[in-house]
Amino acid sequence: MNANVVETINVAREVAWLPWAVQYFFLIGLSYGAYLLSLPGVVFRRPGWEGISRLALVGALVCGIAAPVALLADLHQPGRFWHFYAYFTPTSWMSWGAFFIPVYLGGLVLYAWLAFRPELARHGAAGGKLAGVARMLAYGGHDSRGALRVAALVAFVGAALVALYTGAELAVVKARPLWNTPLLPLQFFVTAFAGAVGLVLVFNRLSVRDAVATRRLADVLAITQLIALVLGAVWLVLGLTGVSPTHARALAEVGPSANWQLAAVWAVSATVATLLLAWKWPGSGLLIGLLALHSAWMMRWSIFIGGQEVPKTGAGYYSYSLPLGPEGLLGIIGTAGLCIFLYVLITTVLPLDRLASTGTPKAGA
Amino acid sequence: MKSDVSPSAVQPRSASRRAFLRNIPVVTAAAASPFPTMAAARGKHQWAMLIDVRKCIGCQACTVSCIQENAVPEGSFRTVVSTYSVKLTDAAQPAGTYMLPRLCNHCDNPPCIPVCPVAATFKRDDGIVVVDGDRCVGCAYCVQACPYDARFINHDTNKADKCTFCAHRVDAGLLPACVETCVGGARIFGDINDAEGELARRLKAAQPQLKVLKPELDTAPRVFYIGLDERFAGKVEGQGTLWKPRAHHG
Repeated sequence: MNANVVETINVAREVAWLPWAVQYFFLIGLSYGAYLLSLPGVVFRRPGWEGISRLALVGALVCGIAAPVALLADLHQPGRFWHFYAYFTPTSWMSWGAFFIPVYLGGLVLYAWLAFRPELARHGAAGGKLAGVARMLAYGGHDSRGALRVAALVAFVGAALVALYTGAELAVVKARPLWNTPLLPLQFFVTAFAGAVGLVLVFNRLSVRDAVATRRLADVLAITQLIALVLGAVWLVLGLTGVSPTHARALAEVGPSANWQLAAVWAVSATVATLLLAWKWPGSGLLIGLLALHSAWMMRWSIFIGGQEVPKTGAGYYSYSLPLGPEGLLGIIGTAGLCIFLYVLITTVLPLDRLASTGTPKAGA
Repeated sequence: MKSDVSPSAVQPRSASRRAFLRNIPVVTAAAASPFPTMAAARGKHQWAMLIDVRKCIGCQACTVSCIQENAVPEGSFRTVVSTYSVKLTDAAQPAGTYMLPRLCNHCDNPPCIPVCPVAATFKRDDGIVVVDGDRCVGCAYCVQACPYDARFINHDTNKADKCTFCAHRVDAGLLPACVETCVGGARIFGDINDAEGELARRLKAAQPQLKVLKPELDTAPRVFYIGLDERFAGKVEGQGTLWKPRAHHG
């Protein structure tokens, strides 16, 4: 800070991308990450991955369906969402995103339906809650491997495009040096995938507590944390050395801020703690799962909300305080509530215990 | 309300494009400065603003008149005079005051336009960047993309909002409200295609000291400054203001 200049009058621009945007990027990231985790067991039928992949697919569905609701809520004119389709603008990543989301979600829902049809039929035959609905959804309960692979491929293309656009949408914004770094899309992807691993760890803990699955997921999580730390170190080195002017600008912008220094220490500490726990104490499934989810959310909060606290022209930083209404805390709680509702709905006809135990050796944890 | 307005109805007072180009004395010097040599690329008029910082007294008359003219909601601003207290080392008094009027720069290469997902924001033939309020979805991507913090979400309309150079007034042959009310005569508005007009003459005269904000971003602003201190051309390094307009979420 230059003590020779004191700003006495200026405009403090308020945050324009609200916590809804954080929720969207968090949930859609968890969704495509969980979708990727569903592939080894559901599509490729790799031994030991069946339960993990089925839990992951439930996670991908829950987060994937909830995410666009948060995105719509972040629009200040949500009723005009159809304008995205009526006025396609190829120069805008957001415009492309409006088309990528339905590709991903359409493929995901179809893939999940094809994957879970036999399970739905079993639930329908066994009776219990919503058995009639399960029978109807099963629509015969056939296991159509060919169709499943096609749907998974569509979802994969959609997931890749969603991962690309969500990263690029911010990375192209030159006005915000913190966002305008080529590493940001990679950092979004890695933390999203890590968060998805965390979600499946939590699902595993809520259902069969499969120790083998926990260990397998802990190994994957440790690798993601290592990659996240390497990416962070590369970001810092590029900024400190000035090799990359964009990273140097980003670092210069947030480096002097005590809030940002705290956020950086927090992020590194959480990542190192998750890495060490996953590596040395893989049985800590619930703890490392929650830590990974927390890191994925905090990263997005810092980038979105923290990024908008940096004035583009004015001195110092804007200060953001979370409103309690729909544009703030209520939006975050509401999105979480929607996820819980979807989770309850889906797991009523597709109980996690049954999904997780299929084809995996059970053990107490 | 659609904030877009019809193309300019005012007849040009200036000479033709050819005459304008003929009057540019040193092409190479112009290329090295922010002077708008590209001016006549589109419509007959190419509106721009010159701000002589030396004449600004920081009275905020422009700020208030803009709010009144454009019904800008409380807590939001289309223009403001950023004011800084600057420590002096070469004078008897300990500090001086530096005023910098800010507004949408109506860039010739505006970063806000390509990011808009529904093509609601666009540049008119006369160079004014506007928002089609009937199409805007309020996604605020343009707010993020503007390097000058000139855009905001209007909480009365829930759409992107910004300075329009008072396009509705300009189309009616009037000056923007901020120019009309500027006490020190610091804001000069006009057509850069009008070689005989005050703006073009003043731009030409001031060419060696003509500057724009954040020139490194290549946005080619249509708001030019005389007396712009380099320390204030980008993000200002200094202590942030303690004053914040009351948040308004109507």
